[in-house]
Amino acid sequence: MGGKKPTGVETKEGITDMLFFFSSVSHSQITRLYSRFTSLDKGENGTLSREDFQRIPELAINPLGDRIINAFFPEGEDQVNFRGFMRTLAHFRPIEDNEKSKDQNGPEPLNSRSNKLHFAFRLYDLDKDDKISRDELLQVLRMMVGVNISDEQLGSIADRTIQEADQDGDCAISFAEFVKVLEKVDVEQKMSIRFLH
Amino acid sequence: SVLLVRHHSVRPPFCCHLLLAVLAVLAAAAAEARGTAASQAPGAAAMGTGTPPSPSGTAFEETRLHVFTLDYPHVQIPFEITLWILLASLAKIGFHLYHKLPSIVPESCLLILVGLLLGGIIFGAEEKSPPVMNSDVFFLYLLPPIVLDAGYFMPTRLFFENFGTIFWYAVVGTLWNAIGIGISLFGICQISAFGLTDITLLQNLLFGSLISAVDPVAVLAVFENIHVNEQLYILVFGESLLNDAITVVLYNLFKSFCQMRTIQVIDIFAGIANFFIVGIGGVLIGILLGFVAAFTTRFTHKIRVIEPLFVFLYSYLSYITAEMFHLSGIMAITACAMTMNKYVEENVSQKSYTTIKYFMKMLSSVSETLIFIFMGVSTVGKNHEWNWAFVSFTLLFCLIWRALGVFVLTQIINVFRTIPLTFKDQFIIAYGGLRGAICFSLVFLLPPSVFPRKKLFITAVIVVIFFTVFIQGITIRPLVEFLDVKRSNKKQPAVSEEIYNRFFDHVKTGIEDVCGHWGHNFWRDKFKKFDNKYLRRLLIRENQPKSSIVSLYKKLEIKHAIEMAESGMISKVPSSVSLSEYHEGKIKPLSPTEMENMREILTKNLYQIRHRTMSYNRHSLAADANEKQAKEILIRRRHSFRESLRKTNSLSRERPAAANTKRFLSLPKNTKLPEKLRVRNKTSSRVGDSSDSEMDATTTVLNLRPRAGKILREQRLRQQRPPSEFSMEWKNEVDGSQNGQGEQQEPGSLPQPSIGFRQPLLTRPRFGTLSREDLTADHGLARPVPPPRLVRQASQGERQRSKPENQPY
Repeated sequence: MGGKKPTGVETKEGITDMLFFFSSVSHSQITRLYSRFTSLDKGENGTLSREDFQRIPELAINPLGDRIINAFFPEGEDQVNFRGFMRTLAHFRPIEDNEKSKDQNGPEPLNSRSNKLHFAFRLYDLDKDDKISRDELLQVLRMMVGVNISDEQLGSIADRTIQEADQDGDCAISFAEFVKVLEKVDVEQKMSIRFLH
Repeated sequence: SVLLVRHHSVRPPFCCHLLLAVLAVLAAAAAEARGTAASQAPGAAAMGTGTPPSPSGTAFEETRLHVFTLDYPHVQIPFEITLWILLASLAKIGFHLYHKLPSIVPESCLLILVGLLLGGIIFGAEEKSPPVMNSDVFFLYLLPPIVLDAGYFMPTRLFFENFGTIFWYAVVGTLWNAIGIGISLFGICQISAFGLTDITLLQNLLFGSLISAVDPVAVLAVFENIHVNEQLYILVFGESLLNDAITVVLYNLFKSFCQMRTIQVIDIFAGIANFFIVGIGGVLIGILLGFVAAFTTRFTHKIRVIEPLFVFLYSYLSYITAEMFHLSGIMAITACAMTMNKYVEENVSQKSYTTIKYFMKMLSSVSETLIFIFMGVSTVGKNHEWNWAFVSFTLLFCLIWRALGVFVLTQIINVFRTIPLTFKDQFIIAYGGLRGAICFSLVFLLPPSVFPRKKLFITAVIVVIFFTVFIQGITIRPLVEFLDVKRSNKKQPAVSEEIYNRFFDHVKTGIEDVCGHWGHNFWRDKFKKFDNKYLRRLLIRENQPKSSIVSLYKKLEIKHAIEMAESGMISKVPSSVSLSEYHEGKIKPLSPTEMENMREILTKNLYQIRHRTMSYNRHSLAADANEKQAKEILIRRRHSFRESLRKTNSLSRERPAAANTKRFLSLPKNTKLPEKLRVRNKTSSRVGDSSDSEMDATTTVLNLRPRAGKILREQRLRQQRPPSEFSMEWKNEVDGSQNGQGEQQEPGSLPQPSIGFRQPLLTRPRFGTLSREDLTADHGLARPVPPPRLVRQASQGERQRSKPENQPY
C-alpha cells in the first residue's frame, strides 16, 4: 500500500501503522513520550488541546509553530489523544537501515520518506487540495522571514520557487512535483528525531 | 558583504600599524618608568612624606619649589596594571579590525604574540627578564572571572543530562593523561643519554598532572564557527571546568608527596579521600552561597543598582572561601554560578541582568587577555633550559595519551550513552585538548627547592602550550570541515533549496520541542518537585513559574516592539488585498544575478533555527539576535491570532451578542470608546503586574458585550476591507494600552486608514502576559486579576467568547 495517504481516521491501516510503530519503538521511548504527553496535558483528561501545545514556549517562537500544532490534530478535531500524538511523532522516527530493504507488501510505515514528505506537504497545504498554491507558499514564506523583506520581493521569491518546481504549468506545486524537487535533499535525516535525549 | 570587505581592507593596515606603534611606545614607557622608579625609590624613602622628592635633593639641602615633578612610585602599581590592561584591550581591537582574522586564527594566538612582542621590548629595554606573573595574582584575581563566566553561562539542563560522560572524561581522562604522561616521561628520563636521570618518578607524575590540564578556551572560540552539535559542545565545555579542579587537586597532591620524605600506603588513601573532600566540599560551598545570593536578591527590588554587585561578591566569596579551606575554588564558583543563575535571573531587573552578563564577559575577557599576554611576556627571558629529548617527548606524549585516552574512554562510555559519540566527535574532543593558562601558572608555582630542574619544566610547558594553541588551534577548523565533507556541497542554484532546508529544520526543531527534553529521570523530576515546592517559594520574589522566554517578553519594552510592528509588520502581512493582485501565469524567468540577489536576501532574512544552547562566546552575548527574531515572530503571531480570533468571534457570537443587549441598559449611553477598548484589553492582559486593572474591574464585565456588538456591526459594514479591519484591530490594542494617559479616541473614527498611528504607548508587558499565564499550572481560576473571574461567572455566551481570548498565545 505504498503511497497511500495516511489519515487521522482510525482505519485498519491507521491501527496497523500504529502497531508497527509501537513495535519498533523501545519501551523506554514510549514511556518517556507518554510522560511528556501527560505533563503537557494540564487538564488531565487524557487528551491535548491546542492550548496545551501553545503552552510550550519554544514552540511559540518557532516560525512554523502554529502549523506544527495543527498537524497534530486530525481534521476538524480539537483534541488529540496519545495515539494521535504518537501517530504524528511516528513520522519522525529515523529510518533504520534494515527497513530500507523491506518488501513493499506490508503497509508503508509512517516514517517512510514518502510519508515524511507528505507530512511536510500538508504543513504547506492548508486547504488540503493537494496543491501548494502561491498564496499558501507566500503565507509560509512570510512566516519564515523577517520584516526586512517587502511583499514584492517575497512574491518574486515565491514565484521563483513555484517556477522551479512546477512541471505541469499550473502555477502550483502538487505532491509529485514537491517530491521531485526534494529528491536530492536528505529528507530522511532532516525529518528524523531521536526520541531519547 | 562585498562592500564591507572592500571597506575594511583599506583601513586595517594603517590602523594596525598605528596600534602597534602605540603599543610599543607604551611598553617602552612602562619599562622606562620602571627603570626610573627603581632609581627614584631610594630618594623617595629618604625624603619621607609630604614634599615630592627631587632627583637631586638630599635631606640636608633646602629644595626649591618644584613647578613640575614626576612621582612614579606613588602610582606605580595601579599605573602598571592599567597600562597592561589597556595594552591588552588595544591589541584585541586591532585583532578584530581584520574581520577575516578571527576566523582563521584563534584570539589566544594573537594575544600570545603580542605578549611575546612586549616581552621582547621589555627584555631589550632592561636587559633582564620581565616580571613573571605572580601565581597569587593568577589564582586569586585572574582565574575566578573566567571560571565564573563559564559557569554562569553553562546550560544546566544539558550539563546534567550529560553529567556522567563529562565526569567520566574529566576525572578518569585526566587521571589517565596525568599518570600516563608521568610514567612514560619517567621512562624516558631513565635513559641516561638524555641527561634527565635526576628527575624522580614523583616529579614526573607532578609534571604529568599539570600538563594534562586542558584549557579549551581557544577551542570554544573556534566551536562557534564549526557548528558542533550541542552534545559535543557541552562535553568539552563541562570537561574543561571539572578538569581544572581535578588538575589542581592532583597537583597539590603530588606536590605534597614530593615534599614528604616517605610515602606510606595510608597517604595514598588519604590522597583519594582528599580528592573527594575537595571536590564535594567545593561544590557544597558553592551551592550554599548560591542560595544565599538568590535569597538576597529577593529583597533588592528597591535598590536595583547594586544587584549585580551581589552576584559578583557572592561568587567571589565562594571561591575565596573554598580556597581558604584548601577545597576546590573552581568547583565552588562554578556551582555557585549555576545555582544562582536560575533564581537571580528572575529576581533582578532586566537592566541588572544585562549588566551582570556584560560585566562578567568583560571581566573574563580582560582576565583571559592578561593571562595570554603574560604568557607571551614570560616566555622571553632567562627562565629556560632546553633539552631536546624532554621537550619533544613531552609534546609527543601529550598528544598520544590524549588521543588514546579519548578513544578508549569513549568506547567504554558509549555503552552507557543513549546517543553514542561518533568518530568525528572523538576527534574533536581529542584534538581540542589545548593547553593554556592553568598549566602555565601551575608550573611557575613549583617550588624550586624541590624541583631543581624547574626551568626545564617551564620550557617544556611553554612549548606544549604554544604548539597546541597555535598549531592545533589554527588547524582544527579546516580539519573539522574536511571531516564534514559528507555534508555535500552541491552547487544547485535553486533559490528554493534554502527555503526547504530551513523549513525542514524549523519543523524538526518544533517537533523536538514538542517531544521535550525531559528525560524519564527520577532525580531530575524529584529535584524539580522540590524546587517548585520549596526553593522557588523561598528564593524568588514573585513566584510565578515562567520560562526564560516568557521572562524575556515580560521585560520587553513594549514601546519598541509596537513601534517596530507599526512600522514594519502591518504592511507585511499578506492581506487578501495584496494577494489578489497576482496575475496568473506571469512568472518571468529570472536572470542569474536576480537569482543571486534572491538567494542573498533569503540567506540574510530567513529566521534562524532556535539553538537550544547559546554557543559560548567570550566576546558577545549571543542572545541579542535571537531575541530580535523571537520578538518578531511573537508579534506576528499575535497579529494573526487576533485576526483569526476576531473572525471566529464575529462568526459565532451573533447569538450571544444579540441576546445580551439588555445589559447595555446599565451602561451610560455614551460610553467612550477607550473604556470599551480598555475592557477588551484587560481581559487579555490577565496577570496583575500592572496596577491599572483594579480601577476598571467593575466596568469590564458590563462593557464586554457592547464591544462584541460593535465589532459585529462594524464588520458588517466593512466586509470588503480586511486591511482596515486588521488595522482597527491593531489600533484598538494601541488605544487600549493608553488608558493611563487618558487619550481619547472618537468612537466614529475607527474606519480611518490606520497604517500609521504614532501614539506613544504605555509600557505594559502585554506580550509577556499572554504567554505567561499559559504557564501557570492552574486553569485560570486562581488568577489574581478580577476581570477574568467575573467574566467566567457570566453567561454562557460571555464565557464562550472570552474563552478564545483566554487562549494562550
